[in-house]
Amino acid sequence: MAGITGLESVGDPASRDRFLTRALVAGGTLLAGGALVAGLPKLAASAQSPEQDAEIFNFALLLEHLQAAFYGEAADTAELDGELLEFAKVVAEHEREHVDYLQEALGSSAVEAPKTFFGAATTDPDAFAAAAITLEDLAVAAYNGQAANLTKGALRAAATIVSVDARHAAWIRAIVGRPAASQPVDQPLSRAQVLAKLDESGFLREA
Amino acid sequence: MTFRDIPDLALEDLDRDGAIREAADRLPRSSRGGFLKVVAGGIAGAVALGRPPGARAALARGDVAILNYALTLEYLQDAFYTEAERKGALAGAAARLTRVVGAVERAHVRALRDVLGSKAVARPFFDFRGVTESPPSFVRTAVAFEDLGTAAYKGQAHLIESPQVLAAAVGIHSVEARHAAWIRYIAGTLPAAEAFDQGRSRPETLSLVRSTRFVVARPRTTAAKKPAFTG
Repeated sequence: MAGITGLESVGDPASRDRFLTRALVAGGTLLAGGALVAGLPKLAASAQSPEQDAEIFNFALLLEHLQAAFYGEAADTAELDGELLEFAKVVAEHEREHVDYLQEALGSSAVEAPKTFFGAATTDPDAFAAAAITLEDLAVAAYNGQAANLTKGALRAAATIVSVDARHAAWIRAIVGRPAASQPVDQPLSRAQVLAKLDESGFLREA
Repeated sequence: MTFRDIPDLALEDLDRDGAIREAADRLPRSSRGGFLKVVAGGIAGAVALGRPPGARAALARGDVAILNYALTLEYLQDAFYTEAERKGALAGAAARLTRVVGAVERAHVRALRDVLGSKAVARPFFDFRGVTESPPSFVRTAVAFEDLGTAAYKGQAHLIESPQVLAAAVGIHSVEARHAAWIRYIAGTLPAAEAFDQGRSRPETLSLVRSTRFVVARPRTTAAKKPAFTG
């Protein structure tokens, strides 16, 4: 499957509200699905605490919600088939389990599922593969970027999830015939960087 | 591709597979079990040696041990892919993976040796006994190595003291997971079989590596006679 389209071709440009960057990254608070997520954590490794764990897990939960919605929609559509459909179904189940795990860990402070818009990314094979690569790489970079900020117990839990997302990222690349891992080290991203990329994707919509 | 409904590949399965056992039976008994001694001796020696103050950022004793443990696993992977590429028995997707992953594992070795400096454990000797020349054996072994590498890094993350070492380790950890998924795809088994990947402890990992008998005490010669002195 040659010619993976870039994300810029995905979805309706008019729908790409820049609400995340404008309202949240710049403003320092994140409104997602009506729930208030606390301000951005310090980028440098700061003193770990259960409170900070919860903040980071809610950040992770937002990403897992987004992935679960993406693959759930893709698995339900009649447009994908073969390997891509199998991938979507297996990964949708994994992402739902990640959401369940984080929700359980967070209890009443868990952020709600955001409103999403995927456009052609859940129906067009090339757009689906490109979006899946973006979302999985973003999740890996987000978890890796928070590793030093988590308490040891939370780190152990997060480590069981991040490698599964990395496996998904390699799997979808293998399906579309791209080298699945050519960098020696996965580069981490800060929360602000991740949110900026989410904003670029246009997949999140204002509640 | 429809993924075969087969259980997870693991080093234990490889050892039951026959090919490795047959080869291992030909291995002199004295070279078995040498691996742990090599690792343990290397780590103890490295920690005792130390470095001149200020030569490099001081690493906690525990972090040195973890990095040397990681280095040992990376030596194993480096040797495996480098030998497979040199033998040239692989074709297509497996050959492509070998080139890419081999380069990455060699980079991991260089990076870890650089961080450890004089505390780096010495490269062990390996004998893959034909596995790198047989495509099916190669693929099965690579799956086991990459799943094990992922689990081994995961098992150490919470034990690392230095935030810098942790950042590097988690960045390598997810790359090993990518390798595992890629080779699993080539093997026709589910690249991500479970929603959560479990870690493995150091003793568990080293015991599995030892069970392969790929690590040997010294280079093995199959020649019946000693090499003639030609100088």
